[in-house]
Amino acid sequence: MPKLLVCYKWVLDEQDIKIRPDDLSLDASRAKGKLSDFDRNAIEEASLIMEAQGGTVDALTYGLPTVKASVKDVLSRGPSRLLWIGDPAADQADAYVIANVLAAAIRKAGPYDLILCGEGSSDLFYQQIPARLAALLELPCVSFVQKLTLEGPVLTATRSLGDGTEEVRVTGPAVVSVLGEINKPRIPSLKQVLGASKKPSEELPLAGLGLTEAELEPKALRRAPRGFLMNRKNIIYKDADPAANVGKLVASLEAEGLRG
Amino acid sequence: MSILTPEQKVIQRSAREFVAKEIIPIAAQCDRSGEFHPQVLEAARESRIFAMAVPRDLGGLDYDALTQALVLEEWGYGCAGVGTTLAASVLSMDSVLVAGNDEQKKMFFGAMVDGAIGSFGLTEPNAGSDAGNGKATAVKVEDGYVLNGSKCWITNGGYADVFVIYALTDPAAGARGLSAFVVEKGTPGFTIGTVDHKLGIRSSNTVELLFKDVKLPLTALLGKEGEGMKIAMKTLDMARPAIAALSVGLAQRALDVCVQHLQEAHPDPKIQPGQTLQFKLADMRIQIEAARQLLHHTMNLRDAGVPYSTESAMAKTCCSDMAMKVTTQAVQVMGAWGYTHEPAKLMRDAKIMQIYEGTNQIQRLVISRAVLPPPRPAQPTQKGGN
Amino acid sequence: MSILLTEEQQLIGQSARDFAKEYLEPIAVELDHTASYPAALVKNLAAHDFLGLFLPGEFGGAEAGFVSMAQVIENLSRASAGVASILVNHSLAAYALQRWGTPAQKQAFLPALASGETLGAFAAFEHGPRPGVGPQALQATHLPEGWVLSGTKAFVRNAGAAQVYVVLAGTDPAAGGKAVAAFIVKADAVGLTVGEPLETMGLRGCPVADLDFEHVVLTDAALLGDLKDGQAITAETFALASVAEAAQTLGIAQAAVEHAAAYAKTRIQFGRPIASLQAIQTLLAETATDCHLGRLGLLQAADLIDRGEPFRVEAAMLKQFLARVGSRLLVDTVQVEGGFGYSEFMPLPRLFRDIAGTTLLEAPADFPDATIAASLLA
Repeated sequence: MPKLLVCYKWVLDEQDIKIRPDDLSLDASRAKGKLSDFDRNAIEEASLIMEAQGGTVDALTYGLPTVKASVKDVLSRGPSRLLWIGDPAADQADAYVIANVLAAAIRKAGPYDLILCGEGSSDLFYQQIPARLAALLELPCVSFVQKLTLEGPVLTATRSLGDGTEEVRVTGPAVVSVLGEINKPRIPSLKQVLGASKKPSEELPLAGLGLTEAELEPKALRRAPRGFLMNRKNIIYKDADPAANVGKLVASLEAEGLRG
Repeated sequence: MSILTPEQKVIQRSAREFVAKEIIPIAAQCDRSGEFHPQVLEAARESRIFAMAVPRDLGGLDYDALTQALVLEEWGYGCAGVGTTLAASVLSMDSVLVAGNDEQKKMFFGAMVDGAIGSFGLTEPNAGSDAGNGKATAVKVEDGYVLNGSKCWITNGGYADVFVIYALTDPAAGARGLSAFVVEKGTPGFTIGTVDHKLGIRSSNTVELLFKDVKLPLTALLGKEGEGMKIAMKTLDMARPAIAALSVGLAQRALDVCVQHLQEAHPDPKIQPGQTLQFKLADMRIQIEAARQLLHHTMNLRDAGVPYSTESAMAKTCCSDMAMKVTTQAVQVMGAWGYTHEPAKLMRDAKIMQIYEGTNQIQRLVISRAVLPPPRPAQPTQKGGN
Repeated sequence: MSILLTEEQQLIGQSARDFAKEYLEPIAVELDHTASYPAALVKNLAAHDFLGLFLPGEFGGAEAGFVSMAQVIENLSRASAGVASILVNHSLAAYALQRWGTPAQKQAFLPALASGETLGAFAAFEHGPRPGVGPQALQATHLPEGWVLSGTKAFVRNAGAAQVYVVLAGTDPAAGGKAVAAFIVKADAVGLTVGEPLETMGLRGCPVADLDFEHVVLTDAALLGDLKDGQAITAETFALASVAEAAQTLGIAQAAVEHAAAYAKTRIQFGRPIASLQAIQTLLAETATDCHLGRLGLLQAADLIDRGEPFRVEAAMLKQFLARVGSRLLVDTVQVEGGFGYSEFMPLPRLFRDIAGTTLLEAPADFPDATIAASLLA
């Protein structure tokens, strides 16, 4: 009966974010929160294991205090319990800080037989949290997982390596990060949605995790993001002579400073 | 009802009988199958109705504008899809009336009189309301023009014998470089593309026209090069009342169908529809008649030789908006029966009336310019202004 | 909107939205063409608890309430109003049974309705426009052997696919439709035949047919509620239908507005997107405004049902508003798309055909006004 943990991030829904055309800054005022895409797969995978083998699934998240809005959404997707850490400075946190906080919470709430994460978050896609967690918790880390089986303490995973796959076997506990292709998350039924409020959820105060000031100080500073707008020039070179067209194209590329 | 001359009454009655015999019995069938109705064409050819707008000295029936509207109303009453077929043919003829020389008129109208159908080819995927934004070209060569491009949503395209096609003789000049041409079916390089399946007027044939290196003689040009836009706009001006007429007929049919069903379903005088329902029927009657009168007034202006462009736009807008309202009301009032019987078809047919031959938004632009003309540029001697 | 919805209601709406995207969008066009009843899809709806949405937990329902029902129906309707129709009509039967059923009747039918094993249908209409009176073409006579039903019900949705029908019948021919009772009729009742499927121009996929009753004998246990409850059952179920169909209407309209807005941004005429034209902006703004106000009315009516408070007047107002406005929502959004809005290879024609069917249902044109007026003038 495995004791599983899933880490997830509550991000802004990119569909609602608009790019201001004048300075390309982002307008997220109408953006609602959503569960990061691969984290959805991680939660589903943990739920599937629990449905097959029994045990429990804890969901854990660190974010702004507004992350409280994610509780019922996540609990409706299978986990037995949810732990959340709200911190007004969370949007300044880098992978170093996030991993420190999550590891501290895991030490407090664990131990776990398996820790699942998404391969990267929908917004920033650092892809660092699983590896950092594994290092901090001194556990093996298996990434890019597209298929997973857990038998007792033994974990068998198929990793997607772009042009091929690799099968690894690890004796747990371990940290695993999953890709979208690992499963198709089911849509919560109404009963699951309504049952979410009956499941336990707990706020873990940041102060109670025993982290030093240094461990909460980001090492990387993220400046204001800028959007990218595709601007089509709509120029067609239609000379009868193809060579002339090529010449004109090259000339305009140079004029744009794209040839150096 | 308008006050008609005895001759107009005869023609109206004859059209009504034709519609009852040839169109109404097959309307639902053609709508279901979405297929064109060649059998109606045969009967129509015999009645020579496609020649109704052709001048008498060219062998046509030369009906005045009001009479044409009466006929089109009857056809709209029978089936707006079939009525569209007739209206589009007349539309193509109008271009030739506007800009054709004697030779062209003889050729085009002669064909009509013999039972040919016409088709008007202006619209392209990127040239809907922006009619001048088309891409089809007609390059001048020594002894004619070479036509390339495509047209879409062309009524009658798959069945027409003669077409009026608009293409750019001077692409650099944009809309001012548009010209009009008479093109015959079967000209090498001219093929029919995909057939469009529509929400309504499903018995009307709507297709894509494809032109690949189609050679046209010099005599195919209507009017002068660059006059295409002017010709098209004048043509549409003349043709707008046709849509108004179809709309009135369509709406009248909706009302009549409701009344008929109410009478059949409740012959018992003790069970009468309540006031709400009765008033809805009264409103439908008012709206139909008011729109009809605006149309007839417009036709009287045209027959009197008085400018009628604004009224034409008003009639098209008023009648088609009215038809949409009345047919929607008919479905609503007749409930589930309306949804599964003729009112549903009428509602689907009505929608296109607000869109084609100039959307009602474009019509409003035309009308508003007459209501509130754009200010003339300020004269230098006038004081004030900034 | 989030102020008015609880978190659960929002999540339920989201689940319905996700379900619609994943299971309805891929089949919506084909369903519209074939109009063949999507049995597997209905089973899937059941698996997500949509069929037992508001039914009590003791019968396997989700007890999610009627605001949730509105959320579900609206979101499903965005993708396929035809499928939503199946759910709506099933829900009417489920509601009547839950509201007026005896414990035995509830036990006999609600669990299967909740699990989706049984599909329900509500047979209310009759042929001929109804000038505001009750059923007459189907009469129920009480004989020694039980209740005998003879006659025809018309335009019954889910007919043929349903296993149980809640049927409104007249109980006294002389009363001119004022005496009405509701009966529970199983699809395998002897003497019950389902007529030929009717072609509808929209909401296709939800079967519609007449039901013929030829001396159908029912036991007393088939009577739903008391004899005197017939009018209340009729009025209240119609009221629920108004609420459910309002949700359907708004879902269709929302999909249309969004499609037309996206189209307007990319359709270039006169050198710029038509979205920049005030005429287009007005068409969309008016449509969006009507949707917004309609939605507020819908949430309030649904909330009244959740609170167990009377809701017939509010439901009638909602129906009246949407009947006035309903089809215009699609008349105007099709107009934005012009010729493309009329072409069946684009989605708007289907939405146009669907919405004409959601605003007219279940009551004659004058019914809502009578209910509202009665509340003001009694």
